[in-house]
Amino acid sequence: MMLEIKNLHATVGGKAILKGLDLTIEAGEIHAIMGPNGAGKSTLGNVISGREGYEVTQGEVLFNGNNLLELEPEERACEGIFLAFQYPVEIPGVNNTYFLRAALNAQRKYRGEPELDSMQFLKLVREKLEILHISDDLLRRSVNEGFSGGEKKRNEIFQMAVLEPSLAILDETDSGLDIDALRLVARGVNRLRSEDRAMIVITHYQRLLDHIVPDRVHVLADGKIVASGDADLALKLEEQGYAWLDRGGIQSLDIDLKA
Amino acid sequence: MSALAQQWSESLRSATHPQVLPWLDALRLRAVEQLTKHGLPHRKDEDWKYTPLRVLEQLGPAVATGVRVENLTPAPEPELPAALIDSADCVIRIHDGALAGTEGGDQPGVSVLSLSEGLEQHESLLRKHIESVDINGSAQAFASLNTASLDQGLVIHVKEQADAGTVLLRWTLSGTADPSIHNFRVFLLLGEGSRMQLVEQYESADHGGSALNVVSHFDLAREAVVDHLLLQNESENTILMSSTYIEQAQGSRYNYSGFDLGGGLVRHELKTVMAGSGAHAAFGGAFVLDNSRHVDNHISVEHAGTACSSDQFFRGVLGGRSRGVFNGKALIRPGADKSSVRQSNANLLLSPLAQIDTKPELEIYADEVEASHGATVGQLDETAIFYLRSRGLSETEAKRLLVGAFCRSVTDRLENQELAGRIAELIDQAMPSYESRGQVL
Repeated sequence: MMLEIKNLHATVGGKAILKGLDLTIEAGEIHAIMGPNGAGKSTLGNVISGREGYEVTQGEVLFNGNNLLELEPEERACEGIFLAFQYPVEIPGVNNTYFLRAALNAQRKYRGEPELDSMQFLKLVREKLEILHISDDLLRRSVNEGFSGGEKKRNEIFQMAVLEPSLAILDETDSGLDIDALRLVARGVNRLRSEDRAMIVITHYQRLLDHIVPDRVHVLADGKIVASGDADLALKLEEQGYAWLDRGGIQSLDIDLKA
Repeated sequence: MSALAQQWSESLRSATHPQVLPWLDALRLRAVEQLTKHGLPHRKDEDWKYTPLRVLEQLGPAVATGVRVENLTPAPEPELPAALIDSADCVIRIHDGALAGTEGGDQPGVSVLSLSEGLEQHESLLRKHIESVDINGSAQAFASLNTASLDQGLVIHVKEQADAGTVLLRWTLSGTADPSIHNFRVFLLLGEGSRMQLVEQYESADHGGSALNVVSHFDLAREAVVDHLLLQNESENTILMSSTYIEQAQGSRYNYSGFDLGGGLVRHELKTVMAGSGAHAAFGGAFVLDNSRHVDNHISVEHAGTACSSDQFFRGVLGGRSRGVFNGKALIRPGADKSSVRQSNANLLLSPLAQIDTKPELEIYADEVEASHGATVGQLDETAIFYLRSRGLSETEAKRLLVGAFCRSVTDRLENQELAGRIAELIDQAMPSYESRGQVL
C-alpha cells in the first residue's frame, strides 16, 4: 500500500475541516476526489504535503508504511510526494531552471544519488519539455511570473515530470483552464501515468476526468469520504450534482455503490 | 562620547604632517578646534538619530597620527580575500589608512598620485574641495576628524576624454591590541568627457577591532561618466565611516552601487550637487545583515541645474538583531525645472529583533518636476516559502533563494556582468541566519 489515511481529522485556524477521512491508494492508481465547495478537498492535499497552518488533531497518514505526518514538507517531497498547486505561486527574480535544478538536486541528495550538473540537467529538462510540448522559453523566465493561468498549470505538470514523484496530488489543476489548455495539461498528466506512480486528482468537474480517466472516484463531503466508485460515479455526479447530500445522503443518489 | 573626541583632539594637536602648506595647517587646526568644541554626533543631531555610536565608544580607538611613508610602489601581497574583479586596469591598496601599493593605472591621460604629489600638481583644485567640506558642529565630527588629521590620501586625475578603465581600491585593516581610527582622503578628478569605473572593496583578512574614516571627493567635469561600486564585507568588529562628496557639471553621470554585507557599525554619507544641466545621479544598493551589525545609508541629492535626473534605489534584508537605516533626501532648488527624481527603499525583516528606519525626503522648489518615492517594510512570503519547500528545498535554502531574488533588483542594475555575478554570489553567502516563528536562536 502506497498511501493509507486512517480516520484523519484536521483543523485550519481552529476550525475542523477533515472529520474522520479514510483513503487507501496503491501504486499505479489514479484516484479522483470530488465534492462540493468547502468539503475539505484542498485541505487534504495541503495536509498530505505538510503545509503550515493545517493541524492534524487525530488519525494517521502512512506513506509506504512510514508516518508521513512527522516529516517536514521538503522531506515529504524528497520521499516522493508532489503537490500541483491550485494557485501556483509567482516568484519574481527566481529563475525557473535554477529553482528546478536546486529542487531536483536536493531530492537526489536526500536519496543518496549524485547531483546533476547544469549540462546533465538541461538535457533532462529538454526531454521533458518535448514530451509535454512546452516551449523552452519557460526555462528562462522567473518562476510563474507573468504566466497565464494555463502556463502556470502546465509549469506545475512540467515540474512534476522533472521531479518524477511517486505520489502526485493535482489540486484543481483544471480550474481556470479553457478546453484547449485543459487537453494539453491532461495529455501531460497521462504521459506521466506509470505503474509505480499514484495520483490524487482533486476536481470540481467531471470534464477533467474525460481526459484523465481515474481508477477510483471518491466524494468528499463535510470532511469525510461519503461515497466511492469507479469512473462512472463522476458521470452520475455531473448529472445529479451534490444536492443528494442534503436530501438524506448517499442512499438517495441513483447509483450503484461499489464498496 | 566627547571624552573620545577630546582624546583625539589632544593627539591631533601635537601631530606633525608630511605636507607643509600654511592654508592646510590652519584648516587642520580649525578642524581640531571644532572637534574639541562639539564632540561626536549625538542623538539630538537629526542626521544621527538612528545611528548611535556606542560601539565606537566601547572600542575607544586612538586616532592614528604621525608621519608615514606614502608608498606607491607594488608591495608584497599579504593574505587577502579574493579580489572582487580580476580585470581591473589599476589596483590600489590602502592598508590601515595609508597607501600600500599600486599596480597599473598607466593609461594615457591617467595619473595616480599620493596626496603630497596631488597637492604639488593640483593644489588649487584640491584646496577648493578640502575647504568645501562642512566641519562645523557635532554632526560633522567625522569630517572634522578627517580634516584635522589630513595627511594621507590618493588622487586620481583623468584628463579630458581619457578612459581610466576599471580602478580597484582595496581597503584593508590589520588588527592590533590597541584599536585605532584611521583617516584617509580620496580625490577623483575627472576631466570633460572622461570615464572611470571605480570599484571599492572593503574586506580584510580576519582582524581585531579597528575603525576607518574615509572622505572622498568626486569632481565630474562636463559629460564625465563614473560608475562607482562599493562592496563592504568586513568583520563585525570593524567600524567604517565614509563620506562622499560629488560635484557634477553639465551632462555628467554618476552611478553608485553600494553593497554592505558585513561590518559592525557602518555609515555611508553620499552627497551630490548637480550644478550643471542634464546631469544624472543614481544611488543603488543593498544591505544584507545579521547578528548586531548596523548599516546606515545617508543619501543627499541636490538638483541645481535644469533637467537633471536622480534615482535612489535601496534594498535591505535584516536578520538577527541587525539594524539598517536608509535616509534619502532630494532637494530640487528653485529654477531646477524639469527635474526628475525617484526614490525607492524596500526592506525585508527576517527576525523580530531586526530593525529598519527608512526616511525618504523630498523638497521641491521648482516647476515641472517628476517625482516618485516609496518605502516598504515586509517579511518573506510564507506561501512562496512553502511552494519552494514542497519541491524539496529546505526552509533555509528556500529563504536564501527568495532573499537573493529580492536583492537581484539591485544587482540587475549593474552593467558589468562579472561584478553583478560576483556580488550575487557574495549576497548568497552573506544570507542571514533565520529565526523562524518569532524565535531567536
